[in-house]
Amino acid sequence: MSAALDPGEFERARQSAEDRRLVAAAAGGSSEAFERLYRRHAGRIFGLCLRMTGHRETAEDCVQEAFVQAWRNLPRFEARSGFGTWLHRIAVNAVLAQARRRQERVGAEASVEEEIAESVADGEVGDFGAGLDVEAAIASLPPGARHVLVLAGVYGYSHEETASMLGVAVGTCKAQLHRARQLLGQRLGVEEGGS
Amino acid sequence: MTRPVDDRRIDAALGTLAREVEPPRDLWPGIAARLEASPGPSRRSWAWQAVAALVLVAVSSLVTATLVRRSPTPVAQQPVPASASAAMPVAFGPSFALNGEYAAARAQLAAELERRVATMPPSARQKLEANLAEMRRAADEINAALARQPGDPLLQELLLSTYQQELGVLASVNQLTGTSAAEEARQENVKL
Repeated sequence: MSAALDPGEFERARQSAEDRRLVAAAAGGSSEAFERLYRRHAGRIFGLCLRMTGHRETAEDCVQEAFVQAWRNLPRFEARSGFGTWLHRIAVNAVLAQARRRQERVGAEASVEEEIAESVADGEVGDFGAGLDVEAAIASLPPGARHVLVLAGVYGYSHEETASMLGVAVGTCKAQLHRARQLLGQRLGVEEGGS
Repeated sequence: MTRPVDDRRIDAALGTLAREVEPPRDLWPGIAARLEASPGPSRRSWAWQAVAALVLVAVSSLVTATLVRRSPTPVAQQPVPASASAAMPVAFGPSFALNGEYAAARAQLAAELERRVATMPPSARQKLEANLAEMRRAADEINAALARQPGDPLLQELLLSTYQQELGVLASVNQLTGTSAAEEARQENVKL
């Protein structure tokens, strides 16, 4: 039996070391370092915002707001947590603030699907059409259920982390996730005993 | 009446989604314009800095204790080759004294690493060294920033986290590659 070192662990260690180096430079006022951080994290933050809002332009606003807030609050970043995780929390706050200011649009827009389709590498998703169906189904969920599903179901946060990010009780989070999965299953036609 | 959903198929469907979605246009120019118009990163208060410094000392001690426990041989029995010392800078910024035991544990892990990487396949060794080089680069640059901004709690935390992570990598390599002589004989199977 051979010893196998987890390549993912080492890659994550390298990535977060680079993040810390850039955060140190950005905290000293280097906008070039902060731009590097933007380039490294924009895709993940945009994906999160797009799926949480279900609307491309709103997601773009949220991404911009998240990075501006991150810049202003950089000295408050606690290095023990990853920069990406910290940025996710800021982005979720930006989405929730947007949702409070604007009436959320319900229902998927074609543009959302197009943006996602363009960004997904061919080899990454086996059934491209099915992937688009999933995105559309997520975008059509009610906001509360959608937010929980995106954070917990897509980005892998625990119930506790998701509840903390959204400012809701853990029980509420679990109930919303259950509801979201039920609705998603119905919309995708993957109920038990179905095709 | 609603039918229960097939959880495995839901999970499979969610698993197909890419985590990253590139924005349709470059959002940086808009962000940069707002950064210019806004105040720069605001510094934390001195009270917060004092608390952060205390936390750093506590964390440093904890890491030291953990590493010493994990180390297979006592620090004093392990000479540190000059090359290992050179490869593993142990200087914190001028305002933060490095815990002596911490430095010794780190040096010991570095020395063990040197011995064990020699048994690794070249490709695995290259990957490990590239990852460690990035961590050292981060530590060097954060140290340099600390020299310019002594006492900055964010920089201290960033540096400590970088060292902790580097130590974690060293410890896991040593643990996985050095459990027994038989294990060493199988190092050709170690993959990074």
